[in-house]
Amino acid sequence: MSDRPPPITETDHAIQASDLGVRYSLRFSRKKSMQRTLSQLLTREPVEQFWALRHVALRVVHGESLAVIGPNGAGKSTLLQVLAGIISPSEGIVDVRGHVSALLTLGAGFDVELSGSENILLAGAFLGLDDQVTRDLQPGIIEYADLGQFIEAPLKTYSSGMRARLGFAIATSVDPDILLLDEVLATGDASFRAKSKERVLELVGGAKAIVLVTHDMEWVREYCNRAVLIEHGQIAFEGDPDEVVALHREHTADEKKRKAADASAAGLAPVIAR
Amino acid sequence: MSVTSEAPAAFRNAAARPTPLGLLTEAIRDISSRRRLVRYLVQAEIKKRGANTLLGNIWWILDPLLLMVVYVVLVTIITTRALPDYPLFIFAAILPWKWFTAAVTDATGSIVNHHRLIKQIAFPKIVLPVAATTAGVVGFAFGLIPLAAIMLLYPHRLTPLILLIPIIAVVQYVFTVAVAILVAAGNVFFRDLGNVVRHLLRLWWYLSPGLYALSHLDGIALFENPVLRFIAHANPFAVLFEAYRSVIYGTPQGSPMPPDWASLAILFVASTVFLAIASVAFKRLEPTFAKVL
Repeated sequence: MSDRPPPITETDHAIQASDLGVRYSLRFSRKKSMQRTLSQLLTREPVEQFWALRHVALRVVHGESLAVIGPNGAGKSTLLQVLAGIISPSEGIVDVRGHVSALLTLGAGFDVELSGSENILLAGAFLGLDDQVTRDLQPGIIEYADLGQFIEAPLKTYSSGMRARLGFAIATSVDPDILLLDEVLATGDASFRAKSKERVLELVGGAKAIVLVTHDMEWVREYCNRAVLIEHGQIAFEGDPDEVVALHREHTADEKKRKAADASAAGLAPVIAR
Repeated sequence: MSVTSEAPAAFRNAAARPTPLGLLTEAIRDISSRRRLVRYLVQAEIKKRGANTLLGNIWWILDPLLLMVVYVVLVTIITTRALPDYPLFIFAAILPWKWFTAAVTDATGSIVNHHRLIKQIAFPKIVLPVAATTAGVVGFAFGLIPLAAIMLLYPHRLTPLILLIPIIAVVQYVFTVAVAILVAAGNVFFRDLGNVVRHLLRLWWYLSPGLYALSHLDGIALFENPVLRFIAHANPFAVLFEAYRSVIYGTPQGSPMPPDWASLAILFVASTVFLAIASVAFKRLEPTFAKVL
């Protein structure tokens, strides 16, 4: 957890969160049947709770590019979901100022029966864009996605790569103040990945603030001017990207060693020999 | 230049508890600001229904007709004496009922089926069940074509009163949206709600005066019980079926007449209140959808 609380009086922040917590109640966890839920209610079994994030304080000012790194399941994606307004916090305050564009996953909201160009309009409506704005953006999106004749064919005829291209083209067509990125760079074939990296860099150049969740440490060191390490739902360390990346590597190595030790203690051969 | 039309600033405080009235205003704003999204979703739904079948949108017309044939055969065999002009008698109920069941069934899965989207984009989830219900209106409108065809077989029952159908449909729409948004939210937490809803709908149909007139219940000893009698008459679909039938069919002996405006008005007011309560409940549950899905 960060030990320096963010100043509250300054007004030029893009994102400010204080004492942020997100709690998951496991009573209604996914695909649980009514039978199980009812029996839990009747037996007054205590509801398991899980804090995906807790006591998180974060401040991103305009012009900053913040990397969020940490092991799987540490709460990185939950943090982005809160900042994007998809999940509301269970405790604490989050204040986001400016137009937010979240590239959390590509191709959200697509309807396979509709054509590519119709899906652009649908996605725009889901993103809350004005219809005229979406129509203005449409030619650029079609050009960038480069799908040729397929743009008028139903989406169900697309390959997964084509879908990813269309999704990426839509998601990056908007010009946001605050850009939230979650590992989107890892989609598509090699040539599209190069093209998309270029586009993201353009957006990074244009956006006033960026929060990026990634496992690509080179990217963090190259393009971010600050980084936070999240472990077990809390900010473990915050500071210079090089330092944070080094600490993360150290922790990951420790964790591996510990797991290997546990495994050998249990009499199992380590699965990964490294 | 920024192109998003989202609110430029978002301030969320976990300690703040919105009031019911605040939630209701928010729900209304959600729908009115995303009218375009509702329209696209409705268009997509209509396109989808026509896309995978040989006859495509012809099924909008055939479906209620075939259902009517099934019921006419069934009732004529079982009771041996059907009411005069019986096909028209039950078609007046099949048409609105098909709209209601299609809307409620589609709405049940509307949130759950968009689970990926809900975890990726912040948008008002209430548009999903509203779109499902509104797509049903199109089916209802298409159903007016076979209705016109059947009416031609019974020209003595054709009066200008059928122009009142849209007014009755508005009352039904308000009631349907309320049910739709409740089941859509409920299904997020109880995935077996879909099964429950399917059977409840079937029971509801037979308990409503669709295949028989409401007055038919007077002859059944069970309904001499005042409580059961009240429930039978307060059933929204008793009011709606009787109203539709009044303007389309009339009575077995007589020609169409205006609906019972008083009960229709009561149903409208009650449905509006129900819709307000359902919207507030939906908005209360909405923040947890992304976590539960």
